[in-house]
Amino acid sequence: MLSINANRRSQLTELMSEHGWDLLVLYGHTWRKDYFRALVNFNFSGTHAAAVMDRSGEVRVITSDPWDAEALGVPYTPDFAAALPSRGKVAVAGKEIMQSRFTGAEQASATYAVEELRRVKTADELALIRQAAELSDRGYQHFAQSAEPGMTEYELVAETEAFLKRHGAEDNFMLIASGGTEVVGMKPPTERKLQPGDSVTTELTPQIDGYWAQICRTLVIGEPNAAQQEAYGIFAEARQAAQDSLKPGVNIADVAKATNDVFRKYGYGEYTGSKYTRVRGHNLGLHPDENPYVLEDVNYTVKEGMVVICHPNTYLPLSGYMVFGDTLLVTADGCASLNTTERKLFSK
Amino acid sequence: MKRGWITWDKAELPPSAFEARLEVVRKQLDVQGLPALVVYTDVWRSNQGRYLANFMPYWNRALLVVPREGASVLLCGLSPRVYPWIRSVTILDEIRPSQNIAQQLTALCTERGWTKIGVLDLPLLPSDLAIPNSVDVPWSAIHPEPDYAELAMYRRAAQIAREILEAELPNAAGLVDHELVARLELKYRRAGVEDLVILTTNGATPPLPPAGSTLTPTCAVSVAMEYRGHWVKIVRSGYAVSTQAEKTELLSGPYPYEHCTQADLPAGAIFAMMSRSSGDTYRQTAHGPELL
Repeated sequence: MLSINANRRSQLTELMSEHGWDLLVLYGHTWRKDYFRALVNFNFSGTHAAAVMDRSGEVRVITSDPWDAEALGVPYTPDFAAALPSRGKVAVAGKEIMQSRFTGAEQASATYAVEELRRVKTADELALIRQAAELSDRGYQHFAQSAEPGMTEYELVAETEAFLKRHGAEDNFMLIASGGTEVVGMKPPTERKLQPGDSVTTELTPQIDGYWAQICRTLVIGEPNAAQQEAYGIFAEARQAAQDSLKPGVNIADVAKATNDVFRKYGYGEYTGSKYTRVRGHNLGLHPDENPYVLEDVNYTVKEGMVVICHPNTYLPLSGYMVFGDTLLVTADGCASLNTTERKLFSK
Repeated sequence: MKRGWITWDKAELPPSAFEARLEVVRKQLDVQGLPALVVYTDVWRSNQGRYLANFMPYWNRALLVVPREGASVLLCGLSPRVYPWIRSVTILDEIRPSQNIAQQLTALCTERGWTKIGVLDLPLLPSDLAIPNSVDVPWSAIHPEPDYAELAMYRRAAQIAREILEAELPNAAGLVDHELVARLELKYRRAGVEDLVILTTNGATPPLPPAGSTLTPTCAVSVAMEYRGHWVKIVRSGYAVSTQAEKTELLSGPYPYEHCTQADLPAGAIFAMMSRSSGDTYRQTAHGPELL
């Protein structure tokens, strides 16, 4: 049966009225289901799905898979392209990811406007993100307990994925790395075996009913050496600087600057750029890597109700690549971590 | 998600297989009078890039450019920090950082003097990627049917899918669906599976993502899994299987590439034929479907 996000429906009908759109299409495909699920929270199994809403808020769902149609209780139309609306003033959220055969220049893009609405979470959405954050904490505990010398990276990922699925994760986004100062970033797991002295970095991102939360931590196999401890001190200070600066009304560029200034203070400013790191954080929600990114060249005014991970992850010559970060909820006067995992350099 | 072990075992998939595939591309470029073929790839649509270079973007997107003369070039949204890893699991050497892959493609075309290029399955490109002066090169033109190495990979994938699910399914009754999925996840990922989507049903609905239901002795489980770039799909059930296929899908990922009618499939097509209680992956032959 169709499960419609009533708050979003109301906001989207206002958006349609504001822009003079007759129909709003919220499109999703296998990788990016988020625009569709913002209104119809159904984890479709087929290749494509679209929710088509008119100005009255009436929603029609089109799926490319007959089993999805059956589960939703909607008619199945084998020709997905033909079922998409072609008349009237049509706007599409997710137009940019749509295959070009499905869309044309006459359709407006509603992508940015819908993403902007999605940035501030509803109470129901926040409840799911809290569940995902709680599972990320438990998942990290399992990850740290499971890691052993001699275990391959991909076996450790298998253990972690199984744990998260056992406890209700719909999916999980996870990267990993292991080793010493030669490690410059995270990637999918390899056959490398964990060794004493390794830094084992991971970001876990379980998804609950569509919504993602993330945690980043570093684990040392054995006792951390002096360089790893020194590096951790810098990362911890940078993570705290980000958390202290994240509040409604601030420019997200300033959150990135507060993070990076800690590295600069210790003489590691060059390691805050794109050569060594991607972003200093990002928004979370129905996609695990939403805009706005936390970067010094991204200007966006933070709003209460946003959910952001701030992670000063980067390479340092002291330690190799290290990661630390929590999922943060922007509150009325600051932010609160949704993670309860201890903020420390883990070791075992 | 693609969280499993991504590797390239050259004994399993020899470099000569890629050389032969690229030769087919070059011949097609000759036929169409084009200097290069552009292959779009992202987390979802990774199979064509994988076929030609063994490259899989575990995140982000990329364009693989196969020139008629010379080595392939990857225009890649991923960080240069992972390029050594990419080189270790692909045939690629030249990788260009590309936050904007369309812009980088334009720059490459200008640099090489290309005024017109081929794009693999042009109508399937994301609409934000405008590639000027491009010509469609359909997948079927460079991939008339799976080659020997590809078929061997599909057979291995299908074997892994069957062996693990058939070993676990007899123990499913009484388990919460999340628990069964966790047990399968652990075994499949340990076996080297890169990506995995598991759906279950007790019969009242089509197979769906787990939702906390207790499985009955007559439950059915659908597994879509990717082994080193090769997707297969199977369905098994604790009850008498239906032989009436409810859907037939050309495989390109965890989900169907397109639904199709089995009678219309070209020879060599890899497809899944499923009811909600049984299903397998096949190759279409002149004599009908061959179970993989």
